[in-house]
Amino acid sequence: MARPRNSGEEFARPIRRLLVGLLLLALIALFALWRIDSPRVERMRAEVTDRVLPSFDWALVPVTGLVTMASNFQSYAHLHEQNQQLRRELQQMRAWREAALQLEQENAKLLDLNNVRLDPRLTYITGVVMADSGSPFRQSVLLNVGARDGVLDGWPAMDGIGLVGRISGVGRATSRILLLTDTSSRIPVTIQPSGQRAILAGDNTVYPPIDFLENPDLVRPGDRVVSSGDGGMFPADLLVGQVTMGADGRLRIRLAADYERLEFLRVLRSHQAETLDENGRLIVPEPREVFGPPAPAPESLTLVDETPEPGAETPDG
Amino acid sequence: MANPRPTTLWLGRLGVAALALVLIIARLLPLDTLPPRWAGPDLLLAVVLLWTLRRPRLLPVWLVAGIVLLADFLFQRPPGLVAALTVIATEMLRRRHQRLRAGGFATEWIAAGLAVVGILASAQLVMLIAVIPTPPASLVASQALATALAYPIIAFVARWLFGVARNPTDTRRRISA
Repeated sequence: MARPRNSGEEFARPIRRLLVGLLLLALIALFALWRIDSPRVERMRAEVTDRVLPSFDWALVPVTGLVTMASNFQSYAHLHEQNQQLRRELQQMRAWREAALQLEQENAKLLDLNNVRLDPRLTYITGVVMADSGSPFRQSVLLNVGARDGVLDGWPAMDGIGLVGRISGVGRATSRILLLTDTSSRIPVTIQPSGQRAILAGDNTVYPPIDFLENPDLVRPGDRVVSSGDGGMFPADLLVGQVTMGADGRLRIRLAADYERLEFLRVLRSHQAETLDENGRLIVPEPREVFGPPAPAPESLTLVDETPEPGAETPDG
Repeated sequence: MANPRPTTLWLGRLGVAALALVLIIARLLPLDTLPPRWAGPDLLLAVVLLWTLRRPRLLPVWLVAGIVLLADFLFQRPPGLVAALTVIATEMLRRRHQRLRAGGFATEWIAAGLAVVGILASAQLVMLIAVIPTPPASLVASQALATALAYPIIAFVARWLFGVARNPTDTRRRISA
């Protein structure tokens, strides 16, 4: 780029203005292109992220580790207190564990009795969170698995307990997870036990609200919320969280996943749900053999046409 | 125009680019994945403005565009929008930086604050016009305010850490005078 140097200030200045103008034009053109053909530019963005961030892996991981260590170190101050609390909780957990084991056995028995087939294709890939969105307005994290691990757009991601978000943007070695708290995240959910369908709509707060709920009277704070699998986007019955009542009187969801520490996330290989693409066909009885002497050909055709009329299900012979 | 030796100039530019990269990476660290109540200062923007006002030769316009465009890409912002606005704002400051430098720190602070508010507000406006989902206005306002308030602190840190003083005896001044 031409920069005004020793001489020719009056000569270099217009050129500089022109070049700055061109630069501005290029930036605005990029923005316009993104607005018009967003997928292509988003692919470019994924490429840039893919190129830039893994090369800073050596810096990202230790610094994150150090800061986490420092915050852990602060908690040493009330170590004793914490120890007592953990002991108490452990005691409670033992009781719960006993109950859980019994329930698990019972559940296995019941599943066996009912001959339920769990989906065998629901496997997962686990990745480490490399970076977050870097902006207070966007809620997403970057995972270190990508297209080379077979990750596809739209797959759900969970931490150990609950749903965290879904894949939106895949690079070669990285993929971006749009968290449920992001303003553009919409997930179809079912609220148990009333079984009502609703949409979980992120709004950049910790407790995202529930939208499109048919009958709010049937929903009480504390109800479980699971993904519904509507629209074939997600596998059904992934735990999302619990219903709570927000301070503004809206029904909101307390997410089950621990958003404070997103470290390892598992991406579920969700396969395209099979859809029923044909209408039910009319069930008609097979053309019965006609008893008695064979009728002449044109009349036998009309006979077949007439048989369904009195009622397809009549079992008379 | 006094010409610093090219090696010094390019080393300075490299240093600014490295600082910007460190700030970008620091913001990407997955330390806090909860949605925030209010947005902190945009340190990158403040640093770009500070260097434009105090050491314009170390931060040429193509470097501004490159840094902010990279940030646009990595921070999930509409690519090119904030970069273009930042280039416009820094060019305006660059053209006035000699007069601003003569005015003392308060003038510089007001100019930087106006630039921050201008960039963030016009980004919001353009996004509204282009029907792009905009971030909540309260968050953007708090970010603009925090960035403007953080400017003196950043100036202080830059003064003591990198020696970027307001430097009234700049070589440029003698030429322009």
